[in-house]
Amino acid sequence: MTLAEVANLAVNGLVEGAVIALPALALTLVMSIARFPNAATGDLMTLGAYVAVGVQALLVGSAFGAPMIGMAVATLAAVIACAIVSVAAYELIFRRLGRAAMVASLLASIGLAFLIRSLITLLVGHEQHTFALPLVRAWNFGGLRILPSDLVIGAVAALVLAAVFAWLRFGRSGRLLRAVADNPDLARLSGIRAQRLMWLLWALAGALSAIGGVLLGVKSVVMPELGWELLLPAFAAMILGGIGSPAGAVIGALLMGVGQELSVPLVGPTYKIAVAFGVLFVVLLLRPAGLLGRPELAR
Amino acid sequence: MSVTRRELIATPLAAALASALPAGVLAQAGEPFRVGALNPITGAGSPYGPGMQRAILMAIEEVNAAGGAGGRRLEAFAEDTQTKPDAAVLAAKKLIDVNKVQAILGTWSSGVTLAVMPLTDEANLIQMNVSGAPAISTQDKKDLVWRYQATNDRFGAAFAEIAAKRGYKRPATMAFNNASGIGNTEGFRKAWEKRGGKVVASVVYEPNRPSYRSELQKVLAEKPDVIVTGSYLPDTTIIIREWFQSGDKNAWIIPGWAANPDLVKALGAEACEGLISVDTVSAENSGAFKHFDAMYTKAMGRPATTNVYAPMAYDMLIVLALAMEAAGPGATVAQINARIRDIANPPGTPVSTFAEGKAALAKKQKINYEGASSKLDFDQYGDVSPDFGVYVIEKGQLVRRDVVSIPADYRP
Amino acid sequence: MDAYLVAVGSVVLIYALLAIGLNLQYGETGLINFGHVAFFALGAYTSALLALRGWPLPVTFAVAAAVAAVAAVPLGLAALRLRADYLAIVTLGFSETVRLVLQEERAITHGVQGVPGIPKLFGALGGRSTDLAILLALLAAVALAAWATHLLKASPFGRLLRAIRDNEAAITALGKDPARYKIQVFMFGAALAGIAGAFYAHFITFISPEQFVPLVTFYVWMSIILGGVGSLRGSLAGTLMLVAFLEGSRFIRDLVPGVAEVQMASVRLAIVGLALILFVLYRPQGLFGRRAN
Repeated sequence: MTLAEVANLAVNGLVEGAVIALPALALTLVMSIARFPNAATGDLMTLGAYVAVGVQALLVGSAFGAPMIGMAVATLAAVIACAIVSVAAYELIFRRLGRAAMVASLLASIGLAFLIRSLITLLVGHEQHTFALPLVRAWNFGGLRILPSDLVIGAVAALVLAAVFAWLRFGRSGRLLRAVADNPDLARLSGIRAQRLMWLLWALAGALSAIGGVLLGVKSVVMPELGWELLLPAFAAMILGGIGSPAGAVIGALLMGVGQELSVPLVGPTYKIAVAFGVLFVVLLLRPAGLLGRPELAR
Repeated sequence: MSVTRRELIATPLAAALASALPAGVLAQAGEPFRVGALNPITGAGSPYGPGMQRAILMAIEEVNAAGGAGGRRLEAFAEDTQTKPDAAVLAAKKLIDVNKVQAILGTWSSGVTLAVMPLTDEANLIQMNVSGAPAISTQDKKDLVWRYQATNDRFGAAFAEIAAKRGYKRPATMAFNNASGIGNTEGFRKAWEKRGGKVVASVVYEPNRPSYRSELQKVLAEKPDVIVTGSYLPDTTIIIREWFQSGDKNAWIIPGWAANPDLVKALGAEACEGLISVDTVSAENSGAFKHFDAMYTKAMGRPATTNVYAPMAYDMLIVLALAMEAAGPGATVAQINARIRDIANPPGTPVSTFAEGKAALAKKQKINYEGASSKLDFDQYGDVSPDFGVYVIEKGQLVRRDVVSIPADYRP
Repeated sequence: MDAYLVAVGSVVLIYALLAIGLNLQYGETGLINFGHVAFFALGAYTSALLALRGWPLPVTFAVAAAVAAVAAVPLGLAALRLRADYLAIVTLGFSETVRLVLQEERAITHGVQGVPGIPKLFGALGGRSTDLAILLALLAAVALAAWATHLLKASPFGRLLRAIRDNEAAITALGKDPARYKIQVFMFGAALAGIAGAFYAHFITFISPEQFVPLVTFYVWMSIILGGVGSLRGSLAGTLMLVAFLEGSRFIRDLVPGVAEVQMASVRLAIVGLALILFVLYRPQGLFGRRAN
């Protein structure tokens, strides 16, 4: 394998990892605060992709038709839609489940995933849709190929992640959110208004899923199964990085993306998926808390 | 474009009403012949299943409007296989046992057909499918199973013929990881090696992945001059997009169900320029396809070229109806089955619609139905040996450039 | 209608075997197993491939159970170190890996082409009798499994399992090692799933890797949620409800012609999702389960 070929695999893995990092982050945030893996994240991604592709199709040929503007508006629409659905799901379902066993919320989220997907196919059908974006050639650096579209995808993902991290670290609500995550009872005692914070959390999770879905749709095709198929890798990334660690989720996603791609020459495209699970298994055996997770959350 | 609700409701409603009324009310001379339409409405086959179901229902309406077949009206019962063998088995059992169908038409995935065949064979029913797996021919013990799609081996042989004719020397293959995808590329490899050639690279890729760059890279590393695929529309969209953006210059030979107008719609004319799309065709001057296409486009809002299996499903019903007509009133399933080659294979007066065929049969002529999907000449296994149309995408349109024939007795 | 009902009944009983095993793992012991379909697959393939080599069916069934049980050992070991939700993901990854192996190792498993022509259980009887015989054999198997599970639950072993579920630390404090029991429960549940798989293979007569996807595991989970976690009767009632719903939706469409078949599939999925949510919210103990969970 030439160096260029290895580099290409790594680059592709980074882009895939960047796309998965968004839902992985959404998962880990919800996990650390609501304490269950939200299986509806995948189908929220799908919803976001469909809303965006629909809005973009409506805008084509109008004043907002230019690709960049159209995509921005479409993504905004997707973010709003998914944030609303996410908060509604919290209010109607997950808040009521409250202290119930984790499995209950997990199963309810699977039910929600099915519901979202079936409503999409009921309204729009099963055919694929693609974003109306111009195709551009890759830049070739002596065999290393970089797709401008991938660069944009990576950049958008990076920006969004950076914004979320900054907010968590420096924003007032963000720091409150972390406080609630670390110690919910103490946080409530000190008068933090948990209710509004929870809405913020769920809206954020919805927004992240929406953007992840749009990026995924741009890279591939928009289909009903789009998000569900990425749920497992997103879960795996979250666990690899350590539950409760936003940075861990992102690093986990990137590592898994790159690791999978680099394993292709060795094990072939089919087993690269198994490699992800193998890595996960090994890491958990050695370090049950994941890479950056806190050990006390592990057992 | 997607089907409007109104259009989808119309025919199943009629069919459902027809099945709800007691048979005696609607029957003319004889009891209605009950047909089971078993198609992949959901699951991997869902891009094709609804169109196939509609094609069968349309054909039934057409036949009934022309006065029925063999003195009987046709009645439809539709079920979804979900593209899963176990769901299909229960659906087939329901059709056979509850609805008492006498033929099951339109199964798509090889897994579904292989799971349903033992049931239809046991009940001595006619089964018609569009699956590709070789095992279907060998498992067809009672000659009740009819395949309207070229076998994987034949497809592969056609790909090989096309590649050779165009002078390619270094082919590579990319296959979707399922029986059909791998079947096609394996068929290609066997045919290519029979000609003394060698496949320089081959890759099997997983479904539903967001990107196939590493798989593409593996294949392109060997510098092929043509890549032959066994693929479907979503993955082909992603692969061609990534290939085009990478700037490589090789040719592509892709099955017609993946390289169709929807692919052009998704990627634009420039990316698709020069792609070779292969699918089975009817004889050059047969009007059956035009006749079917007109009805299909009206009903579904998109041309029949977007669903290569819909004409096949339509042909299934027309062949069945013509066989019923030829077998005469009061014929048993076995007798009808025995007439299928009669009305579909040469020699005979070529006919391209049911009405034509019925009229010719009335004059005691031997007919040869040339279908909408292919000329429908069934071999000893009940498989069609169609011609293959070689279409090249030029300026966003599929233009037929060549026709390739694989001999009926071809064995890899 | 009766041949159809016999077939549906057989499917219910196959799912029941799966549910009984899973309920023992989760309901009694608190182990979250999202990879149950892997043992179903291993049992189906083992029995099918051996039977095609001429081995007698009772033997292939036994080997199928054994293979599935042995395959459960790594998961049992994982359960020792991992907390519930981590275990869920790992078991899911395990079942997907098993499916990929079945898909790739063509030399043994025929890969994606699947295995056609599997000898039908009691095929020699022919026609209706075969189907009835399969149903009866399944009834016997489920009855046996239920009885064995019942004995287990009532025994000291069962009490230990429930203690592990409710308060693992206490067990360790008493000097008992939960590890052994967790592994044993995993193996027992897996063996039941393996037998279910063998029945499945010799009933459908064609198996392929695409039939053993995580959705099957989720259907089994739905059955035990609907029927009641931790309850044997619940396992049976839940699978009956699940299959009744999945199959019943066909007939609803016949009665309500306004819905096209294409849309029916979406409606079915929507109702499954809604049912899950509503049951979890308003009747988490299912039909027969205990309230406190």
